[in-house]
Formats: sequence, structure tokens, C-alpha cells
Amino acid sequence: MRKYAIFFYCFILFAFVIKESYFSVPENFPKPVYDFSNNPLTENKILLGRTLFYEPMLSKSNTISCESCHSQFSAFTHIDHALSHGIHDSIGKRNSPALMNLAWQKSFMWDGAVNNLDMQALAPISHPAEMGSSINEVIAKLNASVKYRKLFYNAFGDSAVTGEKTLKSISQFMLTLVSANSKYDQIMRKEMSFTEQEERGYLLFKKNCSSCHTEPLFTNGNFENNGLQMDSLLMDIGRVKVTKQSDDSLKFKVPSLRNIEYSYPYMHDGRFKKLSDVLNHYTKGIHQSKTLAPQLKNNIVLTSNEKVDIINFLLTLSDKEFVFNPQFQYPK
Amino acid sequence: MHESVYPIENGNTIKFETLKFYISNIQLFQNDVDVYSEPNSFHLIDVSDTSSQNIFLNPPHRINFNKIKFNLGIDSITNVSGVMGGDLDPTKGMYWTWQSGYVNFKMEGTSTACMPPKNDFEFHLGGYQYPFNSLQKIELKTSSKTNLKIILELNKFFTAIDLTTQKYIMSPCVDAVIFSKQLANCFSVK
Repeated sequence: MRKYAIFFYCFILFAFVIKESYFSVPENFPKPVYDFSNNPLTENKILLGRTLFYEPMLSKSNTISCESCHSQFSAFTHIDHALSHGIHDSIGKRNSPALMNLAWQKSFMWDGAVNNLDMQALAPISHPAEMGSSINEVIAKLNASVKYRKLFYNAFGDSAVTGEKTLKSISQFMLTLVSANSKYDQIMRKEMSFTEQEERGYLLFKKNCSSCHTEPLFTNGNFENNGLQMDSLLMDIGRVKVTKQSDDSLKFKVPSLRNIEYSYPYMHDGRFKKLSDVLNHYTKGIHQSKTLAPQLKNNIVLTSNEKVDIINFLLTLSDKEFVFNPQFQYPK
Repeated sequence: MHESVYPIENGNTIKFETLKFYISNIQLFQNDVDVYSEPNSFHLIDVSDTSSQNIFLNPPHRINFNKIKFNLGIDSITNVSGVMGGDLDPTKGMYWTWQSGYVNFKMEGTSTACMPPKNDFEFHLGGYQYPFNSLQKIELKTSSKTNLKIILELNKFFTAIDLTTQKYIMSPCVDAVIFSKQLANCFSVK
């Protein structure tokens, strides 16, 4: 009897650990938006997706992978470049976004042009200034690769590569990119506490920033015009291009502020290099226009000390474990 | 299809390169009572692939019907539900890559009515969001035949539109909705 009981206990623990390692909802997070029932995570599918994420064959010239513009050490974005660049050093129109907590994201791209995580990869694969290829060309290359046929077989029980399987696998890996162990999260879980300066910054943040950068994801997932004057060379009008509704002119998706320390430069066109530039924009750089977010109609007032306090708070959103997690690295 | 030249309005002619569209949500009705709904009903009809033009329905028992309903295009829920396989796989060339959504109807070719030098036209009709929802619900009266022939008469469409003024539609817009409605009027039961 006793032997049975012990055996049973170990089994439960084992199952729990395995499930936890794929994906779990952090305790201070809401319910995910992504429908996992259409694409249940498995170890082999995540591994396939992770391999594809680092695969330069996704580009026409076999030189650019997802990782080229979404490197783990920078919270999966492309630092030091205001605008992302792709094959043949072509320069894109926008700053590549950091990738994290994608299971909670309602839409993708700065203008929300992509409606589901599964479909996201189609855009960079096809864009002439990014990977310059097509999903059909990618699938032909993968079908011709012994390595990939084996990975697809392990993941799906069938070595034939299809668009559906490829995109679902990439989603699986991206869904595992959960960042929820910053100092802020540990403080919310009552495992740590803020310094006095961080605490002051947190209160100022809640008063001035959190209506758009809402906790715990640090974005409300909506589109806003945050008072940036349109770059006269890029002429990027934002979400209106997708919806063709004039109310959406100059609106871009509110980005999460998690891991902001690692993911510079800032804004859809990467125009600000430092967090202090961003705060200065909100206190004295707002460009008035018809669709400006109502919260920004009057300049936000902050002293220079208060700005430093806010930056100190923002640094508590850095999740070191996330940017060094070996499970997200190139699969060896 | 690729070799044929068809006459249209005002002595002009037309040639097709691509002619593909989605038929979905097929339902059969007897006196307005739903007697059969095809499960997982998504069909990509490609005029250059004759096998795609036959749809086999498998009702569990013999049914009588006097109306068929189907959609021209893909419904909005399917449009936002992530990647799918089979005829909905994005490798079928009927999914926009830069902005999510299915192309419901794709028609490409050349016509003497279009401007030189290429004389080409390209209609990628789709859009699932207000106000550019281009999905069309089609209802046709019929009889309980085991072999039902549905005809798409494109000459009606090319009479209704003007290729000299509008020859490219590549994204959800007002014209995509108008063109989709005109295509919906071109279906009939033989």
C-alpha cells in the first residue's frame, strides 16, 4: 500500500513540472488571449518553432532569421538600430518590437495589421526589406531539408511540411517567451520591496503613465497617438493605413514597458535612444494634433528629479532571467 | 483557361491568369428548414484546377431540399482564428501577408480595356472588418438533385464594372465590397 502511495505522488509531481515548463499564467497576469486549444503546446513542436526562429532559410538569401531582428539579449528586439534592416541591408520603416508575453497580445505589428500570432511570421517572411521570401518558398526549402523533415516528423508524426504546421510551431516557441520575473513582479508577489526612489517612481508612473501602459502587462493593447511629430521622410501614418478610418491617423500600438532597459531605441521609428529622451518628449515635446491621446492634451509635468525616479522604477521591469533563459537560445 | 480569350463589352477581350475563390458554409434547406450543413465547409475553387470545382456533400441520409445557401469568401471568425490547414493554408496564395485576412476572390489577367503597356488587371477582393466586410451570402433556389450545377457568369460582372477606370484592387476597401456584391449576383443554378 505504502509503496503505491509514494509512486503516485512522484508521478503527479513529474507531470506538473513538465507542464509548467511549457507555459503557465503568472499569478499576477490575466487570462491569455491566444487560444491554446487550437494549438496545444508540446515539447517537440516548441523545439521545431525554436529551430525555425533561428533559421536563416526563412529569408530569400538564407542570411536573415527571426533572431536577426529579435535577439534574446535585448528582449528579442534589434538594438542600436532605429529601423530594422533585412536582406541585402535594406532598411525597413519601423523599429522591430521586443517579443514577450505574446499570448496576451490582441494584435501584432505597430499598427495592428496582424490579427493572430500564428499569422505574424508571414509578414516579415514576405516583406521585401525584411526576409524577401514567401511562405511557399520557405516550405519548399524546409521540405528539401533532412533535418527539418525529421523535426516535423517528431512534432507532428508526419514529415511533410505545410504552412499550417510551420506557422503553428513558430507560434508555439513565441508563446513560451513569457517575461514575468522582474524585480517588479517579485515585489508584487511580496518577495522583495522597492527602494524609496523606485517607490516614488512607481507612484508617479501610476499617476502619469499607467492609463496606457497598464499593469501588469504595461500596455493596454490599444492604439494611441502619443504626440510624436510625423517623420517627414518615413511619412508613417500608423493604424489608419490598416483601418482606413481617419480617427486612427498617427496611432500606433502602445508597447509594453517590460524589459525597456534592454530594448532601446524607443518608439515605432526608434527616434529616442534613451529613457530620458522619452520622458522629455512627454513633458515638453508633445505635438498637438486631432487624434492625440486625450491624456496628453496638457503636457505632463515632472521635475528632473521625478523623471529620475520614474526611470528607476522602469528599471525594475528588467527580467534578467528572461534575457538569459537557455530555453530560448539557439537550440544546439 | 490561360489560353482562352473571351469577348467583353465594347469589342474588348479578356484573358485570365488566375481565377480563384472561396466557397464556404454550404447549407441545404427544405422550405426554409435547414436539412444539411456541411461540417468544416471551406472550399477553394481554382478555375485552372478542374478537380477543385467539384464539391461532394455527404448528408447522413437521403434529404429533400429546395434551396442552397453558401458564402462567397471566408467568415470573420475564421479570419481571426489563427492559421488553418487544407484549403485555408496560407500557402494557397489566398492570404494577405502584410495585413491579416483571406482574399475571398482573386482574379488576375489582361484585357484590351486596360491601359497599356501591360494591359493587366488584378482584383484581390477581401476584408472581414467593418466597414469593408466583403463576404457575400448567396441563396439559390433549386430542386433535390444529386448532381447540382452552379454557374458563375463573369460576363455579368464585366458588364457591371469598368475595366478602363478600375483595374487594381489589392486591399479591403469600398470598391472591394462593391465588386464582391456584383460577383455574388453572377451565381445561378443550372
